Amino acid sequence: MTQDVEMKEVPAPAPSNSVTAATPSTLQHLKEIASLIESGAYAREVRRILRAVRLTIALRKKLNASVVNAFLNFSLVPGSEVHARLASYLPKEDEHDMEVDTAMSATTALAKHSLPELEIYCYLLVLIFLIDQKKYSEAKACSSASIARVKNLNRRTVEVLASRLYFYYSLSYELTGDLAEIRGNLLALHRIATLRHDELGQETLLNLLLRNYLHYNLYDQAEKLRSKAPRFEAHSNQQFCRYLFYLGKIRTIQLEYTDAKESLLQAARKAPVAALGFRVQCNKWAVIVRLLLGEIPERTVFMQKGMEKALRPYFELTNAVRIGDLELFRAVADKFASTFTADRTHNLIVRLRHNVIRTGLRNISISYSRISLVDVARKLRLDSPNPVADAESIVSKAIRDGAIDATIDHANGWMVSKETGDIYSTNEPQAAFNSRIAFCLNMHNEAVRALRFPANSHKDKESAEKRRERQQQEQELAKHIAEEDDDEF
Amino acid sequence: MDPKLSEVSQLCELFKAALVRNDFDKCATLLSQLKVLLTAFRSLPPLFEATPSAIHELTVARDIYEHAVILSVKTEDQDAFERDFFQLKPYYTDAGDRLPQSQQEFPILGLNLLRLLVQNRIAEFHTELELLSASALENPCINHAVELEQSFMEGAYNRVLTARQKVPHETYVYFMDLLAKTVRDEIAGCSEKAYDSLSINDARQMLMFSSDQELSGYINEEHPEWEIKNGHVIFQKAKESAPCKEIPSLQLITQTLSYARELERIV
Repeated sequence: MTQDVEMKEVPAPAPSNSVTAATPSTLQHLKEIASLIESGAYAREVRRILRAVRLTIALRKKLNASVVNAFLNFSLVPGSEVHARLASYLPKEDEHDMEVDTAMSATTALAKHSLPELEIYCYLLVLIFLIDQKKYSEAKACSSASIARVKNLNRRTVEVLASRLYFYYSLSYELTGDLAEIRGNLLALHRIATLRHDELGQETLLNLLLRNYLHYNLYDQAEKLRSKAPRFEAHSNQQFCRYLFYLGKIRTIQLEYTDAKESLLQAARKAPVAALGFRVQCNKWAVIVRLLLGEIPERTVFMQKGMEKALRPYFELTNAVRIGDLELFRAVADKFASTFTADRTHNLIVRLRHNVIRTGLRNISISYSRISLVDVARKLRLDSPNPVADAESIVSKAIRDGAIDATIDHANGWMVSKETGDIYSTNEPQAAFNSRIAFCLNMHNEAVRALRFPANSHKDKESAEKRRERQQQEQELAKHIAEEDDDEF
Repeated sequence: MDPKLSEVSQLCELFKAALVRNDFDKCATLLSQLKVLLTAFRSLPPLFEATPSAIHELTVARDIYEHAVILSVKTEDQDAFERDFFQLKPYYTDAGDRLPQSQQEFPILGLNLLRLLVQNRIAEFHTELELLSASALENPCINHAVELEQSFMEGAYNRVLTARQKVPHETYVYFMDLLAKTVRDEIAGCSEKAYDSLSINDARQMLMFSSDQELSGYINEEHPEWEIKNGHVIFQKAKESAPCKEIPSLQLITQTLSYARELERIV
C-alpha cells in the first residue's frame, strides 16, 4: 500500500503546482480541526466543537475543490455512501490529485471514520464551500441530505454542528428565493430540537423561522410563533442579536415603539463589530422607531464608521422631521423612495407624516404664546380643502395626547399656549435617574453572570490524555452494559 | 363534472341570487349548507391537494366566501365578517398564484382594513397593510382605507367625514357610518381637553348633531360631567381633577433600598 502511494506521489506535484502553495497548509488546518472535533466528541466537550466551527469559518476563503475533496478522503471511508454522495456535489476538476489522496488516506485514516460528528462536519464543510462557489442548486441538495441525516442523530456534540447546518440550509434556500418551501421542514426541526432539549438548535431554528416569516411580511404568524415558543437564556450571542432584531421589527409593525426601540438598540449594540450590514439594518430601523416615538436621534448615530452612506437617506429624513416641515419631508420621501422600498420601511415612513406635523406644532407652540389657527395651518403647510378646520382638530388632538400644552379659543379662532412648567418640580428627573441606575446595575449583573470558569481547574490533576483514556474505558463499559441489557431481552 | 362540485355550484348560484334579492334568511341557510359541503373537497385549504379539478374547486370556494363576507356586511354582523374573512384569506395568500385574480379581492381587503380601523385595532391594521404589495396600495379601495387611517391619526377628522361621500364600493357605507360614530367620540374627547368652553351652536356643529336636543341627549349620556350654562358648554369641570403633587415616598424608599442591596453585592 505504501509503495503504491509513493509511486503515485511522484508525478502528482507537476499538474497541481499552482495550488501546492496554499493546499498543504489549508488541508493541514482542516486535519487539525478534524482532530479537534474528534477529541471534542470523545470528551463530550461541546466547546471544542464550537472552536472547530469558528476555525473553519476563518479558513473559508482558502477552500477550493481539491482541498475539500482531499479532506473528504481523509475523514470519510472512500467508497462509502456518504463519501460518494458528498463527492458528487463537488466539481470534478483535478481527478489526478484526488486519486493520490485517496490512496494516502486509506492507510492513515481507516481507524476512525465512524464518528457521526466528523460526518456532519464534512456535510457542513461541503455546504459552506458550495455556497461560497455560488452553486446554489447543489447546496440545496446537499443541505437537504444533511438535514435528513441530522434528524436521526441525537448527540449533544452534534447539536453545535447541526445548528450551523440549519443556518446554511435556510441560507441556500433563501439565495434561490424558495424560502417558503422549507417552512414546514423548519417547524418540524424546531419541534425535534425542543423534544431533545437542544436549546441552541431551538434558538437557531426559531430565528430562521422568524426570518422566513418576515421575508414574506407575515408579521402576524411570526409574532404568534415567537410568543408561544419556549424562551431560555441565550446560548449564542449572534442568535440572540438576530432574535432581538426580528423582535424589534415585529414590535415596530405592531406599534409598540418603546419596546421596539429597546430591542433594536440592544441588537445593534450587542452585534459584533464585523457584522456591519446587520448593524446598519438595526440602526435604520432604530432611527425610524425613535422618530415615530417623537425623539430625534443624535447626529453621532448617522456618523458611525462605515455607515454614513447607508444612513444618509435616514439622516435627511430625520432632518425633515426635526424641522417639522411637511414639504421637505415629502421631498425627502420621494427622493429616496426606492431606498425605502428596498429596505421595506416605506410604510413606516408614511406613518411618520403625523410626527412631522406634531413636531411642527410643538415648535409653534413653544415660539408663540398666542397664534391664530389660520397661521398654524399656513405654517404647517396643510394642503386640504379646509385647512383651518383641519388645523383646529389637529391641534385639539395634539393637546389631548399631551404633545403640546395649550388651549383653543374657538370663538376668536386662536390657540393659546400655556406656560411651560418647571420640569424639576415633577417626578420626571427622578424617574430618569432611576432608569439609568437600573441600567448600570443590570449591566454589572449580566457581566458577572457571563464570567466563565474552567471546569474543576483546581483539582484536575490527570492529564488530558489520561482523562481521554479513562472516558473511553467508561464508554466501553457503558456499551458492554447496554449490550448485556439487550441480550437479556 | 364531479356531482359534488356541480351540486355546490348550483347551490352557490342560488345563494348569490338570494343575496342580490337581500333575502338574508335564505342566504344564511344556504351558506351553512355550502360550508359543510366545502369541507369534503381535499383541494381546499388547509390540505391544498393537487386534484385534477383543484382550480375549479378553489375558484368556486373563493367565490362563496367572498359572497359570505358581503353577506355579513349587509347583515351588519362584524363577528361573522371576521370569521368569513379569515376563511377567505388563504385563497388570496396561499392559492393566489394558481388562480386568476378575483375582481372582489381589493374591495374585500379594503373592507377588512376599514373594519380594523373602526374597531380601533391599529396594530392589526398595520400588520395587514405590510402584506400588500406596492401596486395593491395604489388600488383605490385600499388607498381609501390607508388615507382614512392617516387622517384619523393626525386628527383631521373632517377629512374622515368627507371621505364618506367618495366611498369606492357600496359595501363600505356600513363601516363608514360606524367610523363616524367613533370620530364623534374622538372629537368629544379632544374638545374636552382643548377648550375651556364652546357655544352650544359650535359644539353642535363640531359633534355633527342636527338639533340641540340631540346634543344635550348625547352629553347626558356620554359626558355627564359637562355643564351647559348661558348657551355655552363648559368643559372646565372635567379638568379640575388634575392630580395634586405629593412625594412618592413609598416608591422612593423601595428604590433606595434596592440600590443599597445591589451595591452591597458589588462591593
